Amino acid sequence: MAEFKYSNIEKEMQAYGFDKVIKSHCRMCHGGCGTLIYIKNGVVKKIAGDPDCPINHGTLCSKGIASAQLAYHPDRLTYPVRRVGAKAGGKWERISWDEALDAIAERILNTKDKFGAESIVMGYGTGRENEAAIYRFANLLGTPNVLTAGHFCYGPRIATSIITCGTNPVVDYENDPKCIMLWGNNLVISNPDEYKGEPFSASLSKGAKLIVIDPRLTRAAARADIWLQLRPGTDTALAYGMLNVIVNEELYDKEFVANYVHGWEPFVRRINEYSPEKAARITWVPKNKIIDAARLYATTKPAGIQWGVAIEQQINCADNDRILMAMMGITGNLDVPGGQMLFRPPKINNVGTFGAHKMLAKEQAAIRLGGDRFRLAANFGIINPKCVWDAIIKEKPYAVKMLFLISTNPMLTRANAKKVREALEQIEFMVVSDFFLTPTAELADIVLPAATWLEMDYVGDFWKRHGYLLPRRKAIEIAECRSDHEMLNDLAHRVGQEEYWWDTFEGGLDYILEPMGITWQDFKKMDYIRGDVRYQKYKEKGFATPTGKLEIYSTLLEKWGYDPLPQFREPPESPYSTPELYNDYPYTLITGRRLPGFFHSENRQIPWLRELHKDPVVEIHPQSAQKEGIHEGDWVILESPRGKARQRAKFFEGMDPRVVSAEHAWWYPEKKDPDHGWDESNINILTDNSFANCDPAMGSTHVRTLLCKIYPAKK
Amino acid sequence: MTIHEIYIDDQECWGCKTCEVACKQEMNAPEGVKLIVVSEDGPKIVGGAPDFTYRINMCQHCNEPPCADACPEEAIAKRSDGIVVMDYELCSGCRACIEVCPYDAIDFDDDKSIARKCNLCHHRVDRGLIPACADNVCLAHCIHFDDSNEKKKRDNMLAS
Ligand code: SF4
Ligand code: SF4
Repeated sequence: MAEFKYSNIEKEMQAYGFDKVIKSHCRMCHGGCGTLIYIKNGVVKKIAGDPDCPINHGTLCSKGIASAQLAYHPDRLTYPVRRVGAKAGGKWERISWDEALDAIAERILNTKDKFGAESIVMGYGTGRENEAAIYRFANLLGTPNVLTAGHFCYGPRIATSIITCGTNPVVDYENDPKCIMLWGNNLVISNPDEYKGEPFSASLSKGAKLIVIDPRLTRAAARADIWLQLRPGTDTALAYGMLNVIVNEELYDKEFVANYVHGWEPFVRRINEYSPEKAARITWVPKNKIIDAARLYATTKPAGIQWGVAIEQQINCADNDRILMAMMGITGNLDVPGGQMLFRPPKINNVGTFGAHKMLAKEQAAIRLGGDRFRLAANFGIINPKCVWDAIIKEKPYAVKMLFLISTNPMLTRANAKKVREALEQIEFMVVSDFFLTPTAELADIVLPAATWLEMDYVGDFWKRHGYLLPRRKAIEIAECRSDHEMLNDLAHRVGQEEYWWDTFEGGLDYILEPMGITWQDFKKMDYIRGDVRYQKYKEKGFATPTGKLEIYSTLLEKWGYDPLPQFREPPESPYSTPELYNDYPYTLITGRRLPGFFHSENRQIPWLRELHKDPVVEIHPQSAQKEGIHEGDWVILESPRGKARQRAKFFEGMDPRVVSAEHAWWYPEKKDPDHGWDESNINILTDNSFANCDPAMGSTHVRTLLCKIYPAKK
Repeated sequence: MTIHEIYIDDQECWGCKTCEVACKQEMNAPEGVKLIVVSEDGPKIVGGAPDFTYRINMCQHCNEPPCADACPEEAIAKRSDGIVVMDYELCSGCRACIEVCPYDAIDFDDDKSIARKCNLCHHRVDRGLIPACADNVCLAHCIHFDDSNEKKKRDNMLAS
């Protein structure tokens, strides 16, 4: 265990007369960097990176630095409110925490009594590390329905890796990978899990080879030894093309394949269906590049695949994840130094245990919404959003009567936003916990003021797969804001769950740490704790799968009635799958290009971050722009069969002219009416949420590629 | 006397703009005023291959600063340690410096009606700290201040 130490701090304190500095752990995105929070007169004056943190080594991103502007934002909700009058009427009355929690508790108990616990859906977005507490509350309440981003973000990596190799394989940057394949990920400007951009960048500076798979020319693509500019949505076919080379040129690890792989022969048969020529035809990537990339990746060791959410928000979600795991495994890169590690956390009550999944009655788990349809997801407690909207609107297979949404803004971030809005207008009772009155919160009955990461104690990253735990230490308090964990701990006492919760949530932190024989007060004094790092554990114990092997051929998927091997499906809307639609909607639209400073729908009201991007921007190739009569900087309309959104055109030659690239989750906090411009630039008005547009096993909505038209907006 | 030096390796830059926000945190420049600016360069074809880079622009702390000569208020001066400092108390907002800066590194603060530029965080440097943008914020570690190893590396590169 590392010592708690300061570095370069004393001079900083002297120069500015700060009263104190608190080491903490940022949570402005999906993973956390170590931070130093400088305080004067009780106010956060400066945020810097913690040089001793193994995740970021003192560097930060713009979001972390701007956190104080979030905490002290004048528009922040700082006390609970209850809606007065119609939904989206914008009229609220201040209530006390007791009034709020009593009203919510009463509603929960009545609804459970009348319609069953399953009629109450809990939900969170790309959470504030509140997921374990939310699952705990839901499971103890008896509802199997927790609506998260997990169907199409990170959840698939966890679910597919558990059934394929036991846990999520993470690139071992600390041992210098010699080759990195960046697949649908741009971790230097986005919000990556586990490690951040810093160690990746350092590996490249030390000379690692780089392969980038991306439809857009990013800086990483420009720096790459090989850039594969694929047709959006064809990742599985590209991976098969590369595997064809790796297998037929015998570049794989024969010893590993002979001893540790389940399903090699059928996999090779499937691989042989995808010659590099065929893969080239499907993916638009030249055959030679596919071959070169396959050779470079398979022969440069150790190698890591840095993957991201782009390949998960697709119909091929689970199979994309699984085929990449197959590639890591057969090239001998799984669980080796500098390769792709199956790290283990320290001995703790982990996120699954804390989530109290075992406390949910079997009969309740059996009626999880969409459970019979998306069986991989259901086995991991994950549901598809459309199942919830349908249950609200059509009351099928049963009625959902209450939503309890914590840090999520689904009107901006889930597919077919108009349908989402319709469901939120219809739901009988909705509670939201958030920092601001977002467009989603404006439809709630009660809104609770949530605390930022600066305002809470927590065991940071305890559910992540790099094996580290990092203390998040409370630095400030803002008015009546409360962390979601404290809020649920309190509410739990009001709905009869007190036996399973604590006097204060610090008891929950002690519970996480208890197996190590330490308390939160002990942990607070440390920099971090890491689980033991051991390599090639499979040699002694096998992989933690039913066969004990790397299950390229998944026995569990087979049992659940799915293709046990990764399968390529053509995107549901594309020039090839829907040629007639393509006549009217002649561009492939990709959505969700990441922007430094924003985290999905968050941060548009933070001055330093909004200054980085004033307006939503759609990138279009100048050739296509000319064809459509679009000038650089114009407002343009993007349209799909579901609806329209407007963004500003930016010319970008680093993309195939047949592709346009829009930004996601835009709303306008500066518009003070209760709509906040939610339907003006919202790309999810265009995306499709039909079940046919979802991964059949994971239920992930294919929001990343669709067909659109694009034309100048009328002045 | 040490002559201070800041060096940014554009080739390593990822365009994350953390340095811009670190500068905002330190200098609190109003919206629209940037003392360090990260901009896109490309896409373009370089040597037959597609290229795309970021460029970081800030005051170059010129050896013979034309802005200092141009300023009628004598608000800009080069210090003996190399830092070109603009004194905001003396600035009258005439914009003469903006006209002459060859690097387009001076911005105008409409609220206060004064010019603003990077003063290389001299208030930090004078206290033994390094400028905010160079203080280990950059994930690419591409902003170097008074870094003798980095200087050696560069001199070798130029020599070879
Ligand atoms: S912090 Fe570094 S990588 Fe990010 S924009 Fe600035 S120079 Fe580039
Ligand atoms: S402001 Fe412009 S001219 Fe003046 S020192 Fe800086 S770069 Fe040179």
